Amino acid sequence: MADRSKVGKEYDPIVWEVERCKIREMAQAIGDFNPIYVDREAARKAGYRDTPVPPTFLTMPMMWSSSMPMLINDLKINFFMVLHGEEGYEYYKDIYPGDIITGVPRVVSVEEKVSKAGKKMDMVTIEILYTNQNGEQVAKARTLLVERR
Amino acid sequence: MSAQLFFEDVNVGDLLPALSKGPLMKLQHVLYAGASGDFNPLHTDDDFARSVGMKDGVITHGMLVMGFVGQAITDWVPRKCLRDFNVRFSGMTRPGNTITITGTVKDKVAKGEEHIVVCEVVARDEAGDVKITGSFSAALPSRHG
Repeated sequence: MADRSKVGKEYDPIVWEVERCKIREMAQAIGDFNPIYVDREAARKAGYRDTPVPPTFLTMPMMWSSSMPMLINDLKINFFMVLHGEEGYEYYKDIYPGDIITGVPRVVSVEEKVSKAGKKMDMVTIEILYTNQNGEQVAKARTLLVERR
Repeated sequence: MSAQLFFEDVNVGDLLPALSKGPLMKLQHVLYAGASGDFNPLHTDDDFARSVGMKDGVITHGMLVMGFVGQAITDWVPRKCLRDFNVRFSGMTRPGNTITITGTVKDKVAKGEEHIVVCEVVARDEAGDVKITGSFSAALPSRHG
């Protein structure tokens, strides 16, 4: 059962340097061959300063930093009972190669819900607000974890 | 990529061009694990997946399927126009599935200086089973500046 006392808690920041090759790797793994992700000239012609990041790119700093397993552990959530229920992003500014983004994870809420089958579940919402090296907010990621009890 | 899309060209009820991805191969799970950093063996190791109750073996990363939806969106509106993108994972995807993403324009609103279109998206497999439902909003240029 998720620890309610952690609502509002902020965790150590995730610091992540955006690398050109990781942008390419993410686009290729998805099978998205839009040239803006791999070709600087194509990106510039399309109105970007450099190759932008795909819409789900921010899963990368979160997963590579092992932030989510640490958080699940701190929330005393049973790892084997967790489902990824929802994911969402708000985009404020473009993210480009060479940017150093800092994400601060925060537990927004823990709510109990009863499934149609009558089983209790904890709905845990986590947000990570990302800021770039200029102190500008670039994006927010929101994850809903569902812990079956 | 399509030609420049203007706010005035989009109407509530319009359909996004559908995008089909797949059939999914286990190799793509490996590629996505490496890219994303999600090395949960549930997505790459059949023996492990069976040991935790997935009798047919590995399941696809939900975030990979969300990536497909992101591709469908940015095939229609430029990446830089995207303002928010939210999904709910409602079914498991497996190797062999072909995922088709469709979408509908639900609303058009002025928000500050921006002209926003709000759309719903759905990802289904070849049997019609829903994997993801979601929404996004995008700021489009206006013909009136």
